[in-house]
Amino acid sequence: MRNFVDQLVNNYEFLETFPRPLLYLIAMVAASAIILGFIAILVMFFVWLERKVAGHMQDRYGPMEVGRHGWLQSIADGIKLFLKEDIIPALADKPLFVIAPIIVFVGAFSAFVVVPFSENLIVADLNIGIFYILAVSSLTVIGIIMAGWSSNNKWALYGAMRSAAQIISYEIPVGIALLAAVLPAGSLSMRDIVLAQSGGFWNWFIFRNPPFGFVACIIYFVAALAEVNRTPFDIPEAESELVAGYHTEYSGMRFAFFFLAEYANMFLVGTIVTTLFLGGWEFPIFPSAFAFLNPIIFVLKGIALVFVMMWLRWTLPRLRVDQLMYVSWKVLLPFAFACLFGVSAWMLLLHSA
Amino acid sequence: MLFDYVNVLVFMTVGVLFLVGSLLAARLASRLLHSRIHNLDKLTNYECGERPIGGTAIQFNIRFYVIALIFVIFEVEVVFLYPWAVVFKDLGFFAFVEMSIFILILLVGLAYVWCKGDLEWVKPSEISLARERSSQEHGEILHR
Amino acid sequence: MKLLESTFRDNILITRVDYFLNWARLSSLWPMLFGLACCAIEMMATGAARYDLDRFGAGVFRGTPRQSDLMIVAGTVTIKMSSRLKLLYEQMPEPKYVISMGSCATSGGPYWQHGYHVLKGVDLVVPVDVYVPGCPPRPESLIEGVLKLQEKIRNERLLARGISSVMAS
Repeated sequence: MRNFVDQLVNNYEFLETFPRPLLYLIAMVAASAIILGFIAILVMFFVWLERKVAGHMQDRYGPMEVGRHGWLQSIADGIKLFLKEDIIPALADKPLFVIAPIIVFVGAFSAFVVVPFSENLIVADLNIGIFYILAVSSLTVIGIIMAGWSSNNKWALYGAMRSAAQIISYEIPVGIALLAAVLPAGSLSMRDIVLAQSGGFWNWFIFRNPPFGFVACIIYFVAALAEVNRTPFDIPEAESELVAGYHTEYSGMRFAFFFLAEYANMFLVGTIVTTLFLGGWEFPIFPSAFAFLNPIIFVLKGIALVFVMMWLRWTLPRLRVDQLMYVSWKVLLPFAFACLFGVSAWMLLLHSA
Repeated sequence: MLFDYVNVLVFMTVGVLFLVGSLLAARLASRLLHSRIHNLDKLTNYECGERPIGGTAIQFNIRFYVIALIFVIFEVEVVFLYPWAVVFKDLGFFAFVEMSIFILILLVGLAYVWCKGDLEWVKPSEISLARERSSQEHGEILHR
Repeated sequence: MKLLESTFRDNILITRVDYFLNWARLSSLWPMLFGLACCAIEMMATGAARYDLDRFGAGVFRGTPRQSDLMIVAGTVTIKMSSRLKLLYEQMPEPKYVISMGSCATSGGPYWQHGYHVLKGVDLVVPVDVYVPGCPPRPESLIEGVLKLQEKIRNERLLARGISSVMAS
């Protein structure tokens, strides 16, 4: 970001008259607005895609009437939610009720600061990139608990408690599985991690240190599914038992932001898997020849992974609570530790050889 | 580096502003366009059409607390592992052994929790087990 | 009290905005997940593969009244149930619509004469927008009902002074 602004000032002399911090600030705000708009549009696309995928998997069409194959559906939904009345229940804890969607949304959205869409298309290349994502996306739990508690509704509270138990249980396998990519890269910066796997798909971390890279990737994907409350693990908002989970009492735009945050989180998981295991912005073969496609490739990989999540959602039944805890603590966690040992042992062997 | 963190702060602020702005706009729009009928029924909590009875501060399964405790332990461990992973390449075998000891201690902890049955969500209590046993015996007697 | 309803004179801009907002509302009618009797089976069939209510954007059945726009009263409303139904209707945020599905919900149906326990028409407790006849109505009828409701919403005037309000004044 800084280099970009400096370059701009060098090229266009009239910019010299403005104070440098102001220029930086404008550039930052512009970048944030662009990312925000991009994420919002992408989320709308995902909502439409989800309904189409659901439809086609159940042998129906899904939205068809608004626009060609219903492509305007999410816009109609958005405007309708915008026009809906906004209800705050009389017994709700009003300040918390209002703050909760903001925290959930900001937790999902601010992780995109460090997502590298290409080598230079990155808002801030923090040297603790992936660690920052782990930290910020944990904010979601706080928002969810807040929403559940402040609604003063039994369904919402149950949903929030289940959700919190689930998210924190799966955070451990997530953290350890990601180490399998951090170890060979030797850096936490998202850009460095992608650069460490450049030069063709055989260099991607999913194929590195076989089979541990692959297993770690699968563990991360499964655990992340649970963290974003997607279907095999969607007991927090299981419609058949908990109405709508922690956002039972939310209507209109507030609900829309929970929705937005959920899909933004899904894309975030897609981008993390892409960055850490699937070579980021690189084309699978002859990456240097396709360098101009980099941001598109990155987004396409993310969308493909989100599609896999939808595919899973409409294929698998829901897990029970005890099965959920079983999978997290007794399956994913030991295997994640095994991956950590395996990767570090492989690296030692290769180094000494 | 500080520059990047200011950037993050700006990013979050833009997100919050966008959200607050659109929430206010939506509130305004819905207030202008639709009738707002103030009645208490609308503001009651949803409970499948029933009027809510009792407080919502329900008692919870103690499991939630146990899970939170175990989470704290392992999350701290994960936090320790990250800096280790970054410098692992430079330190080599020494770091591997050090971290193996650290992880092994925690794995012992995991094994302990596992054996104690604190990772199981529904733990059959002694009473229900005994009841089950007696009903089985009863069934066997009947079978004879 | 709608603050802006019928405040503006008809002109091309206002009617376009009206049309646009109405379009958005009518193409995303989220029904409430709520069935009372055998009509609910037909409602499920309407949502499923062969009839596919989701084509019209009305396939997102929400579990909570806070997020739904449309209440499909599918089945017999007993007198005991009617107070719950009323509360659920009240809990839905504006704008909200009701489809009365089947003859039981519309008029008491087969219980009209001797059903001491059945409400003789759901319009005694909540305002109904569209009545769908049948016992139970086939999914096509329900879809027709949703389309009629969409027509009704399309003719609503959010901002502009419509013909009806001009005549009233």
